Amino acid sequence: MKVGIPGGLLYYRYGRLWNSFLRALGAEVVESGQTTRSILTSGVSKAENESCLAVKVFYGHVLALQDKVDALFVPRLVSVKKRTHTCPKMLGLPDMARAATGDGSTIISPTIDFQSGLWHNYKAVYSLGRIFTSNPLRIIGAGIKAWREHRLYLERLTLGLDHKSALEGEAGSLLCEGRELRIGVIGHHYNVYDTFTTMSLLERLGGMGVDAVTADMVPEKLRDEELKRLPKDIYWSYEQEVAGAILACSRHRLVDGIIFMISFPCGPDSIIRVLCEQENKAIGNVPMLTLVMDEHTGEGGFLTRIEAFVDMLRRRKVRNEEPREAIAV
Amino acid sequence: MKISWPHMGSLEFVMGSVFEEMGVDYVLPPPNSQRTLELGARHGPEFACFPLKTTLGNFIEAIEKGADTLIMVAGRGPCRFGYYAETQRRILEEAGYDFRMVPLEFEPAKIPATLRRLHDLKQGRSWLSLYRAIKFALNKAYLIDRLERQALHQRYLDREKGATTAALKRCYALVWDAGSYAALDGIEEEAFAIMHSVPRVEREEVKIGIVGEFYLVLEPFFNLNVEEQLGNLGAYVERNIYLTDWLRPSGERPVLGHREHASELLAMAYLTHKVGGEGIFSVGDTVLFHNQGFDGVVQLMPFTCMPETIAKSILPLVSRDLGIPVLSVVIDEMTGRAGVATRLEAFTDLARFRRRAHGREADLTLQPAF
Ligand code: SF4
Ligand code: SF4
Repeated sequence: MKVGIPGGLLYYRYGRLWNSFLRALGAEVVESGQTTRSILTSGVSKAENESCLAVKVFYGHVLALQDKVDALFVPRLVSVKKRTHTCPKMLGLPDMARAATGDGSTIISPTIDFQSGLWHNYKAVYSLGRIFTSNPLRIIGAGIKAWREHRLYLERLTLGLDHKSALEGEAGSLLCEGRELRIGVIGHHYNVYDTFTTMSLLERLGGMGVDAVTADMVPEKLRDEELKRLPKDIYWSYEQEVAGAILACSRHRLVDGIIFMISFPCGPDSIIRVLCEQENKAIGNVPMLTLVMDEHTGEGGFLTRIEAFVDMLRRRKVRNEEPREAIAV
Repeated sequence: MKISWPHMGSLEFVMGSVFEEMGVDYVLPPPNSQRTLELGARHGPEFACFPLKTTLGNFIEAIEKGADTLIMVAGRGPCRFGYYAETQRRILEEAGYDFRMVPLEFEPAKIPATLRRLHDLKQGRSWLSLYRAIKFALNKAYLIDRLERQALHQRYLDREKGATTAALKRCYALVWDAGSYAALDGIEEEAFAIMHSVPRVEREEVKIGIVGEFYLVLEPFFNLNVEEQLGNLGAYVERNIYLTDWLRPSGERPVLGHREHASELLAMAYLTHKVGGEGIFSVGDTVLFHNQGFDGVVQLMPFTCMPETIAKSILPLVSRDLGIPVLSVVIDEMTGRAGVATRLEAFTDLARFRRRAHGREADLTLQPAF
């Protein structure tokens, strides 16, 4: 059976996991690959105008695969951590994918929900496996293999590889190499690692001689510490990661500046943004640039803003490093 | 301590009744207005939900009127609503207002904290009196909801436009003045008599259902009076949400008479999981309305609302399968009244046409939403 994995949204986190699991089960896996102009355009024209850019891109990937495969693989991730949820759009994603194809494609969508305990998830994964094979050992073996590869992929991200080199397992260059300026590029995986919608921001920063720190590279312990300090806990799984990373960067001065990547009009981010901007002001006051990306974002304006931000950080750094006496005079 | 809370449809009567009954000081925010919206949009985050902005505007206007304690319900999502109180507190504090935000959370782990907050709010009155006041207010809410429903059903028959709305206003005042259960019983009869006595004309009926995001369905000022507009266009209207659904979080819908679960089951063919907010009910109740012989469904959605965006992506499929026309109205601070009026009119015509052509295949091309 030919199974398609649309390369949007959570593909940027679990793509490796899904791909190796399905392949180990004997499925022929087709990925839609990098986002392209035509994927974006078709997604934008099919999706609701009110959807966030990330969902529009996802629609594009679904449409690109639709006719090439027997089934689309769109898991429903309800919760990946106790007492949290993903974004509502991820809860409804398989159904939206079905609507996008006009009910024309089979959608395989196991429901993963860590609120209902491990057993539920085990069952979900197992019955997913049963679609492809009747050998229980093979399913378990595939699960273990895929999980290992997934861990490895995540580990590579924390070491500072970008999505693509983490998938391929070879580090051409690291995002963070100890250059003079360091900027936190924080946001959801798909808002940071999708080279098309971010206009290769990470690569460009490297080209400007700037180190980039992603949320994955901020130690989880520091992130959790920040989250514990909040007066009301954040109940979105991935939002916790984003807010935790921003606040940790701010408190411990891990970076010289922060770029917060948001896709317009992201629901959870619109709320978290208020929290992050306020808390950042209170604890570290690290310069922060919030970039809200949508399908109309032009490359020119985007680059100008990044360059201006980097220049500002450079000047600031030089100024702060001048001897104190000189300023006092 | 002067307590206040945001507007949401007839919520003011219910909350007001609780505090009146207990003899606790409160401030009613000025009625929703363009200014409310402007204040909210100015201070609110850029693409936050529309209701977050409007209720923020209510809070600011309430503080200006002397309120110092703001009540807001909070929770744990998955939607944004659970984080409203916290976000609004941050925004208002940064803007330099002086107040205390009291978020009421009803998940099991937060009950003790909520009880403590309620204890502060009741300012020394007994728990029993609070319980009695709430129970009485719920009775009023139930009556108001049934009156509103009556208005939805009969407005299209008005001999004079606006007569039903005026009658409803009189009923609100009556219910507001009721001081005891016995009085409430009498008022129930009187109010329904008032509603029934509105002069009517014979009219061909076309049935339109309203679904959508909770706040927007309940708040006539911000949904541009959709119910009234539809009624005046000649439609028998029903909506899938009443205030008491929210005040009694048991999954029961006392006014409509079915359980939420029934609607979820109907939605299953299209949306197989809850998505927060009213997403699943917007889908399920569209099916329900179709099953009940309605001729069209209007979906009300605040711009950027996540559950309704999902519903809106799925409703075309429902519409295609069942052949019921669905109009999604997206509302934010930029929405123009005139544009919505035109679309509602065209939609009512389409629904009427469909009713006449019943049995025959009518062309149900959807208009693009704006
Ligand atoms: S978290 Fe934001 S960007 Fe991601 S799917 Fe939800 S609304 Fe879209
Ligand atoms: S249902 Fe919609 S408007 Fe209401 S809180 Fe959720 S996203 Fe906002």
